[in-house]
Amino acid sequence: MNQANIKPRTGLDSAKVATIVVLGSETFFFGTLVSAYLFMRGVYPWPLDGAPLSRLVIPAANTLLLLVSVLTMYLALRAARAGGKAALVTWSTVTLALGLVFVGGQVLEYTSNGMMPGDQGFGGVFLTLMGFHALHLLAGVVMLALIAMRARLGDFTPRRHTAVEVGAWFWYYVAGVWAVLFTILYLI
Amino acid sequence: MTTQTGTFPYMRRAEKSKFLSWALTTDHKRIGILYLVTAFFFFLVGGIEALLIRLQLAAPGAEVLGPDAYNQVFTMHGMTMIFLGAMPIAIGFANYMVPLMIGAKDMVFPKLNALSYWMFIFGGIFMYSSFLLGGAPDKGWFAYAPMTMPAYSPGMRMDFWALGVIVLVVSSTVGSINIIVTILQMRARGMRITQVPMFVWNMLITSFIGVFAFPSVLVAAALLLLDRQLGTQFFNTGAGGDAMLWQHIFWFFGHPEVYILILPAMGIMSEVVPVFSRKPLFGFTIIAFSTAAIGVLSFMVWAHHMFSTGMSQIALLFFAADSFLIGVPTGIKIFSWLATMWGGKIRFTTSMLFAMGFIVMFVIGGITGIHVASVPLDWQVTDSYYVVGHFHYVLFGGTILGFLAGLFYWFPKMSGRLLGERMGKLSFWTIMIGMNMVFLPMHYLGLAGMPRRVYTYPADAGWAFWNMFETWGAFITATGFLFIIINIVMTLRRPATHEADPWDGYTLEWATSSPPPPENFDSLPPVRSRRPLWDAKHPDMADTH
Repeated sequence: MNQANIKPRTGLDSAKVATIVVLGSETFFFGTLVSAYLFMRGVYPWPLDGAPLSRLVIPAANTLLLLVSVLTMYLALRAARAGGKAALVTWSTVTLALGLVFVGGQVLEYTSNGMMPGDQGFGGVFLTLMGFHALHLLAGVVMLALIAMRARLGDFTPRRHTAVEVGAWFWYYVAGVWAVLFTILYLI
Repeated sequence: MTTQTGTFPYMRRAEKSKFLSWALTTDHKRIGILYLVTAFFFFLVGGIEALLIRLQLAAPGAEVLGPDAYNQVFTMHGMTMIFLGAMPIAIGFANYMVPLMIGAKDMVFPKLNALSYWMFIFGGIFMYSSFLLGGAPDKGWFAYAPMTMPAYSPGMRMDFWALGVIVLVVSSTVGSINIIVTILQMRARGMRITQVPMFVWNMLITSFIGVFAFPSVLVAAALLLLDRQLGTQFFNTGAGGDAMLWQHIFWFFGHPEVYILILPAMGIMSEVVPVFSRKPLFGFTIIAFSTAAIGVLSFMVWAHHMFSTGMSQIALLFFAADSFLIGVPTGIKIFSWLATMWGGKIRFTTSMLFAMGFIVMFVIGGITGIHVASVPLDWQVTDSYYVVGHFHYVLFGGTILGFLAGLFYWFPKMSGRLLGERMGKLSFWTIMIGMNMVFLPMHYLGLAGMPRRVYTYPADAGWAFWNMFETWGAFITATGFLFIIINIVMTLRRPATHEADPWDGYTLEWATSSPPPPENFDSLPPVRSRRPLWDAKHPDMADTH
């Protein structure tokens, strides 16, 4: 059959269209989790209400970390668009490392505050919301590892680097989810 | 390479072995058939479970199953029909037909397509393995908290429920994404999104509903697992968790799911009715918009499953009003099909009979749906057989009859053989008589106070006659399906005629041989309207747009 008959009708790469749909689906996923949390927030005394500001050190540091990682992700994407192979490898590796440190920070936050899944609400909520967020971040880390590997092999060109574009969208998205979670869990 | 052979490229042997060529296929037509065959098998298993339920309820105090087995069987009947029967049948039809109807040569992600199928069959086997490993889930398909907490549900039954749901829902999500992107990206040259066949449009909307509704039940199942395995307390009412939270999360998925089950069948209706009425679909644009409206509204009616939970007056009003509202776009579709038939040259094929049966049966289910959307009436009949009668008229009288119309309509395309019409009509009338015998008396029994989900009833309640009547009806319905199976087997044993376009169809799937070659089309007719094949065959009567 004539290949010319099948051109992407939206003008976008199919992987990108699929990513948009996936992220829409993810929004309902995290939306449901957040709704569950808000539902429980009314039920339990909340340990963070009136906690000293020092309690926010780890989560604040983590927020900063993710913010920087968004920047390095953007630098990686810019390198891919410009065809800078070495820069792409470097920046995607740095982003990946920042992601891993962030997950480590989350583990520290969980253990250093002595949280348990069963304790009055917060432990379970933290484990669930942050757990699912961390799983997404780790998925992003895997993507970045693949991107870095493929970049080393010279798989990407300034015209063809959909994986990097899609990886960047995902990374920004997961960072955005963190911004929401940080706000509703720690700030309000 | 992949798309040429339709199998994974590194599996050379797959081209030689018949088994491997199916097991490793990435061809949308083969995956579609795998979906349809597997789902039909599970549908029959769910049907046998329905017969067991009817046997248990045939007489007061019967001990065919007993309470524990009854709970497992009615739960698995619901899970099977929804997750392993109806939904995968729709995905199967979509897999086979969507690429053909939009003039594409495959789905956009053929390997993901294979992944969704294999996850589906794994999820089904996993769910059913529970019968051998300590018992199947037994808290209903809705799995209400706190009945699912370890204190009331020890053992692994509800873990099977939760893990099975996760696998099946991920599979359906992947399938839905594939369908959406295929429709958005792969349409033949000239086919605008407003010109896709109505079945394709309905699958697009259905898939969007799925992509946004499935995450919710995924969260529900995940939180249930965490509650059961790690001791979090989302739904554990004994430790401050909330049973209402479960119902909100579950029904936020559960109600859109109802539309996921009915919209594909309505899409089939919108293909079958015009072709066998010799007219274009009446009010195409209005039907398309009403489908989209159903998609949006389906997310705003979930709490009408919870009218009796003591919600606030405002919430009751809101959800009742929305539930009435969603009846409007649904009614529009019914009138559009009737107007399509009006003045048409109707051919009473088996497919058309099932489609007309759909209209009559679905209207009954729709009207009782308006009844239970009314809060005071719902308070009276909730948890009774009235509700069971209502949703079976929708899901059997609607979804299943729609699928059967699709089976008789598209079987010639998939196999190159027309199903037997005499046998088909016999199965139609048998199923119509049988299903009405089962489901119509349920309304009376519900009003008379018979509760659902209970394994037996007292002899002096006065419910015995109609229960026995329903059980006979269930076996008559089953006989109708036996006729369908015999029809399929006998037809497949006959030599194929390979007729490309036996119904004088309108849409592109009839523009290629039956069954189509691996790459689907040698050449496509130009697409300038919603009925490209009609235009090509009847240039003097072509649709102008």
